[in-house]
Formats: sequence, structure tokens, C-alpha cells
Amino acid sequence: MSKSKRGLRFYLHIYKLILAQDLKSKMSYRADFIISIIGMLFTNISNFLAFWIIFQKFPSVMGWNYYEMLFLYGFSLLALTPVQCFFDNNWNLMGQVFSGDFIKYCFRPINLFFYYMSEVFDLKGLGQFLFGVGILSFAWYKLALPFTFIVAIKLVVSLFSASLFMIALMNVAAAINFWIIDSRGIMIFAFKFKDYAKYPITIFQSVFQFIFTFIIPIAFIAYYPSMFFIRPNELSILTYLSPILGVLYFYLSYKLWMKGAMSYSGTGS
Amino acid sequence: MSKIKFSSKRYWALTRGGIMEGLSFRTSYFITIIGNFLYLIVIYFLWKAIYASSPSKTVGGMTFYDTLIYLVLAAALFNLMNSFLIFEMGRDIQSGKIILNLLKPMDFQVYMFFQKSGGFVISFLMTFLPTFLLVYFFTKGSIDLGVNLLYFIISIFIAMVINYCIDLFVGTIALYTHSIWGINIMKEVVVLLLSGATVPLAFFPETLRTVVNYLPFQAIYNTPLHILTDSTLVTKNYFWLLGLQLMWAIIMIAFSRCFWKFSQKVITVNGG
Amino acid sequence: MDTCIIFASIQPKGNGEKLKPIIQIENISKEFKVLNRREGLKGTICDLFSKDYRVLRAVNNITMDIQPGEIVGYLGPNGAGKSTTIKMMTGVLEPTSGKILVNGRIPYKNRTKNAENIGVVFGQRTQLWWALPAIESFRILKDIYCIDDITYKNNLEYFDALVGSSELSHKTVRQMSLGQRTLCDILAAFLHNPSVVFLDEPTIGLDVSMKGKIRELIKTLNKEKNTTVILTTHDMGDVDALCKRIVIIDKGNMIYDNTIENLRTYFGAYRTIKLMFSKEANGYSKDGLDQIATDLKDVLRTNFIKAVSLTVTVEDEWIVLLINEDEVSMMQVINCVQEYKKIIDMKLEEISTESVIKKIYEGEIG
Repeated sequence: MSKSKRGLRFYLHIYKLILAQDLKSKMSYRADFIISIIGMLFTNISNFLAFWIIFQKFPSVMGWNYYEMLFLYGFSLLALTPVQCFFDNNWNLMGQVFSGDFIKYCFRPINLFFYYMSEVFDLKGLGQFLFGVGILSFAWYKLALPFTFIVAIKLVVSLFSASLFMIALMNVAAAINFWIIDSRGIMIFAFKFKDYAKYPITIFQSVFQFIFTFIIPIAFIAYYPSMFFIRPNELSILTYLSPILGVLYFYLSYKLWMKGAMSYSGTGS
Repeated sequence: MSKIKFSSKRYWALTRGGIMEGLSFRTSYFITIIGNFLYLIVIYFLWKAIYASSPSKTVGGMTFYDTLIYLVLAAALFNLMNSFLIFEMGRDIQSGKIILNLLKPMDFQVYMFFQKSGGFVISFLMTFLPTFLLVYFFTKGSIDLGVNLLYFIISIFIAMVINYCIDLFVGTIALYTHSIWGINIMKEVVVLLLSGATVPLAFFPETLRTVVNYLPFQAIYNTPLHILTDSTLVTKNYFWLLGLQLMWAIIMIAFSRCFWKFSQKVITVNGG
Repeated sequence: MDTCIIFASIQPKGNGEKLKPIIQIENISKEFKVLNRREGLKGTICDLFSKDYRVLRAVNNITMDIQPGEIVGYLGPNGAGKSTTIKMMTGVLEPTSGKILVNGRIPYKNRTKNAENIGVVFGQRTQLWWALPAIESFRILKDIYCIDDITYKNNLEYFDALVGSSELSHKTVRQMSLGQRTLCDILAAFLHNPSVVFLDEPTIGLDVSMKGKIRELIKTLNKEKNTTVILTTHDMGDVDALCKRIVIIDKGNMIYDNTIENLRTYFGAYRTIKLMFSKEANGYSKDGLDQIATDLKDVLRTNFIKAVSLTVTVEDEWIVLLINEDEVSMMQVINCVQEYKKIIDMKLEEISTESVIKKIYEGEIG
């Protein structure tokens, strides 16, 4: 039997199987499923309200008007959806590492990272996706931006590469769980940064611009990619580099995560 | 007389246990402080930019430093209040371990409270205090250091009780839904927004402001912070605010208790 | 300890087997760095700033070869280093020094490839998907391990013939009893026909009939498929039922590696005498029996000063004497007991495996 043929098709197939079990299981808890959906709605509405309230009192931020800010907001919501949907199991890592349950992932002949992430799919993320589409479309319309086939391709590519940065950030935050026991704080802390992705990085002083571009790369989640569309005359080289950097950051975070996972040896007994 | 003595010894033992447990999380406290510090930086720049684009220096009665202090300390308070109670309850309910807790010869809610209070004390010393000092020096001493500090301490303890009751309530809901994620995130976002922790209540438009004043959430973050930063307050005001907070605490305790007692009858545990 | 030297030198002599061992462990050691913790509240605060570590040698120079198809019982007191060794065999831990080969591969270097050929079962933790019927887990595993349709079908049919798993597998794992879950976990471990299966306390927490069922299952699977089984257990029933060879580890050192039979010969002079005494009125309560045991022990010890290895315990309604015939004659002991109290029933046995192991743990010389 071709055990060595563990290529893309194999992994896609397994992914479907394992994911299905999570969905089946989640939907069997009907009450929680419905509450989660409602909760997600609340969350998105709440976040939008906070955004809106600020803008009632402050009409513009450093030369960025309301619709431009809305564009960033919508774009960031979309870029943040993949990490929410596909990499949600990172949140369970602390508990499973602590209790020793994580060890059961270590004995299967498939890639650990893949196996772990495929276990959970967060349906709530789809709500966020819809919100993001709504807000982005609205802002797009209000800013009277062009929409051609090329632009659409650009959008998809930049969204994809933007999403890689948040995924990388969460991977790193989660990976710390392998070495430090109570690092739930760090995951929540990392997750909070996504809220700042919707602001233009120019508000920061240069030192922090650097930090938020290269160390905690939230600038790449919405700001740099969005420049393509709303400020095409002020493009910096970083905007063009986003896809490459995205893949790089993701790869590095993956390596770190795997390092932690491979050195995990379970609890006593 | 001896029965009461015996009880308080129990509670102290639990609290001490909570303290020791809290101390073992040394790295996580370090991380929380760093987190608060970085948050301070982000908020500083963000609101500096926001205020810079505003025609006046004061918006909604708050200056830039006011907003800064408010938001950063609110975040620090949130980290302080975050005792993962909901998370633990949800987990125990899912695994069926909740039965063990119910069999202990002590009221579950009270038991959990004292256990959490130990961690609260440590968290306060290890994370909130440093953050407070950080903000104080950052804003060049814009926070008054007087009797308001005393009232502030009292206020956050009451706030902790209110927050605890809300967490208990949400955790109890897990008995029905068998899972806590959805409800928890929702609770966090709603509580943070409506208590003024995400955006100061002073910025809320009128109608929203009135609605929010009738909810207990603002008693968790807004009241203590208001006590701390508003220099126009006199003793009468302090007592009024604390009294209001206390009232909310009592309401929430009664509410969560009733709900818990009611729910205990509905308990279903993992089979097998 | 002298005992260790005596036992450790008894290695299975080469019995002319030309088969390559499926697991080869040579001078394996594992060290851990442990923080020296201090007591009390003050101590915990000091620990926050402490950098005081010590080195813990969990596994110390262990060598063993395991042939294909063997069922090896891996025993040792808690904290002896058993799970550490197993983790090194499964590739989860990297040894500090020494060589280890499983199926001709270094486990921690080729974890994924190694995983294709091994199965693992933990007594209490299931590896199946919690919210799904067991059969769904099997289906997923079929694809993960790339099991071909024919093998899969045959194995499922075979399992069903053995334990009636077909009906059980439609239950969700969440709703199963511990015994049923363990059963399914074991089936899942054997599903892809691995060459080695590691069982970590598989019968823990199970009732007697379930234990029997599971032991039967393991035995049959081992025989039919020639799967090597490494069995970690505290249950002597498991050992007696399944293992021909046992390895005992204590404080990181291997203190015994040979067959059970051989073990018994070391304690061959020991006899177990089970006694039941005349009941007055309703028979004896547990406390009553305990009292008799204590008194009896004093009596025997006083009368037979040389019988240092003598122990008296209570097992259900029996008083159990363990004597060493090199020290004292069995007949003399029985006579003495008869004088003390009237015996109405008696059983004579070899020393139980459990007692043997217990003695080894306690470091007594056979």
C-alpha cells in the first residue's frame, strides 16, 4: 500500500474527514451552536458600534476619513477570517498540553500541525466573513473605487497573504504553551492585536511602526495591502512584498510550533 | 461561635491556596504586564492621533491623558478580573467533573469565590499595580494620589464580586448548552463595550449612555475608574458611587444565586 | 543494591534465534532538569526568582532486545521510569545517550514513519474521536494509515468475530463505558496491522469480566498477527495471563529481564498457604480477620525466629501465609497454626506473581 504517497490530495481528503467530525459534533450541541452564532453576531455588532462611537466624536484620524477607515476595518475582518475558521484549535492547546491529552496527536503518521488544526473549524468565523464583505463593499462603494477583474485578483491575493500574518502570530502565541504552562494570557494578548489592525500604522512613531510591521506584523493585515486600493499613489515597497513576507512569517511560525510539538513528552505516569 | 471560627479558617485556607497557585503562574504575570505595557503604547499613539485630528483638546469631558489612563487601566482591570472561571466551569461541566465540586462540603459558589480571590490578590499585586505605576509615570502624574485611592481599592473589590457573579451566571448557562465558547466571547465583548472599557462611556451618544447606566456592567469598570480619576469628587460622591456599586453587587449575587439553585435541578452529567 | 546486580546479570542467553529483534535498546539513558521547589508560601515566592535546578536521571543505562511476536510485560513501581522508556520507544522523547531502534528506525528521528508501524493505547485516554461513533473513527484511521479496503474489511470482520465489535462500534465514544472504550481503542491500535503495539495500563479501572475479555483479545491478536506487544501494567492478572517475559524497572534501572518462570524459580522455595479458620457463630468480620492475622504473625515469628521472610495477609476470607521453605518447614508452620487455632480449610500454592514483584520492588533477596 502506498504509504509514502502522502501528498496534497491525501491531506485534503483527511482534512475533510477530520473536519467533518468537528462540525458534526458541534452541531449536535444545538443550543450552543445557535448561541454561538448569536454571540458572533453580537461580537461583530459590538465591535462595529465601538468603531462607530469613536467616529461620532472624531471625524477623521490623521488624514484618513471615515470611509477609508471603514475600508481598513472591512479588509481586516476578511483577512482575520481564515485564522478564526481554520486555526481555531490553537486555543485548546494550553488545556491539552497541560492535561497531557495532546500526546494522542503525536502517534499518528501524519503531520502534527496539520492534524491538530484540522480538528476544529469555527463556523462563527463565517459570520465575521459576511460582516467583512458587507463593510468592505460599503466602503468600496462610498470611496468610488474601481472594480475590475485585475483588481479582484489583486484583492484575493492580498487578502490571502494578509491572513497569513495573523495566522503566524497566533501560531507563535500558541506555541509558547509548549514551554510555558500558563500562557493563555499571551494568546489573549496576541488576539487583542487584531483589533489594532484596522488603524493606519502611520499613527505610530517610527520605533513602533517598526515593531508593528516586522515583529508583531499587524500592519500587514490591513494597512499595507489596502494601500493598493485606496492610496495607490503612496505605495511603499512593503506593499509589494506582503505576499512573500506572509509566506515567510507563516513558515517560521509553523516551524516554531512544530518544534514545540515535537519536544512535547506528555505528563508523568 | 466556634462554627463561625471554623468557617473563616476554611475560607482563609482556600484563599491561601489560591495565592500559592497564583504564584506558580509567574511567567503569565510577567506576560500580562508586558501586554498591558504594549497596550499602553498602542492606545497612546492611537488616541494621540485621534485627538490630534480633533478640533478641541477635550472631548466628552476627557482630555487625551484622561482617555489614556482610562483605557489602559480598564484593560488592566479586565486582565485582573479575568479568572477563567467560565472556562473552568465549562470544562468541568463537559467532563462531568462538576459533580466533584458539588459534593464538597461547602457551597460551590462561595468555595470558588474564595479560591479565585486568592488569585485576584496576587494578580492585583503582580500585574495591576505595576501597570498603574507605569501609567502614572507615563502621564507625568496625572492621577491624583489621595483618598481616592482608598475608595478605588474598595471599588474594585466590589467590582470583582459583580464580575464574579456575571461569570457564574454565564458559567451556569453552560449547564444547559453544554459548551461555553459562544456565550463567553459574547459576554466578554458585550461587557467590555457596555462597561466603558473599550470606549469611555463619556463618548457614548446620549441614548446609548442612558441605556448603559441601567446595566450592571458599568459598575465593573466605569465606576472604579471614575472614582480614581475624577478629581471633582467629594466624600459624599464617593459614598454614593460605592453605594450604587454595592447595590449592583447585591442584585447580581441574588440573581446568580437564584439561577444557580434553579439550574442545579436541571443538571445532566456525562453518561457512562 | 545487591539484588539488582544478581537479577541484572540474568539476561536471556542467546537461544539460537537468528531473527533480528524488532526493538533494540542499547545503554539508553534519560536525564531531566528539575527545579528544586521550596515549601510554603514564602518558599513559593522565593521560587519565582530561583534558578536552582538539579538533574534527574529517570532512565539509567537500560539495554534490552525484543523479538517480533513477543508479549513483554513492563513493570515497575510508580515513577520508576517506565513511561519515560516507552516514550523513547515511541519517539516522543529523545534519549540523553544510548541507541534505540524500533523496526530498524530511530524513533525520535523518524517519528512519522515510525508511527505508521506502531499502535499505542493509553489506559485512561482515548485516541478516538469523542463525539463520533467508533466506526467513524475507524474510517478516519483507515485513511490516515492508508489501509487498503481489503485489509480494513477483513480486520473489522475479524474484530467482530472476536468481540462482537460491529454492534458496539455504532455507539459514540462519549456514551461508552470505560471498558467499551478501551476495547475500541485496542481495536483501533491493531487496525492498521502494526508490527508493535504499546499498551499502557489497558485494564486499569475495569471490572473483572471486562479485564478477562480484553486480555483474551490481546492474546489472540498477538498470536494471529504476530504483533509485538509491550504491556505496561500494575495488574498482576494481566501479567499472568499474557506475558511470558517480564522486564522490571525501578528508579530508572532495569532490575530484571527474563521469563516469569525464571522469576518463580528464584522464589521457588516460597510457598503460599491459604488458611480458613473455624467460624464461631457468624464468621469473621474484616476487622476480626485482620486481628487474627496480626496475632498469628506474632505467634509464628516468636516460634520461628529464622522465618524472617514470613508474611501474613488477609485476602477476602482467607488468611494468607507466605513462607520461605529455606527458612522454615511448611509442615512445622501448619502444625503451629493448628495449635493456635483450628484450621477448617487450606490451600497450598506457589508464590503468586504479585508477591514476587512486590518482593522485588522491596528489594528483598530471593
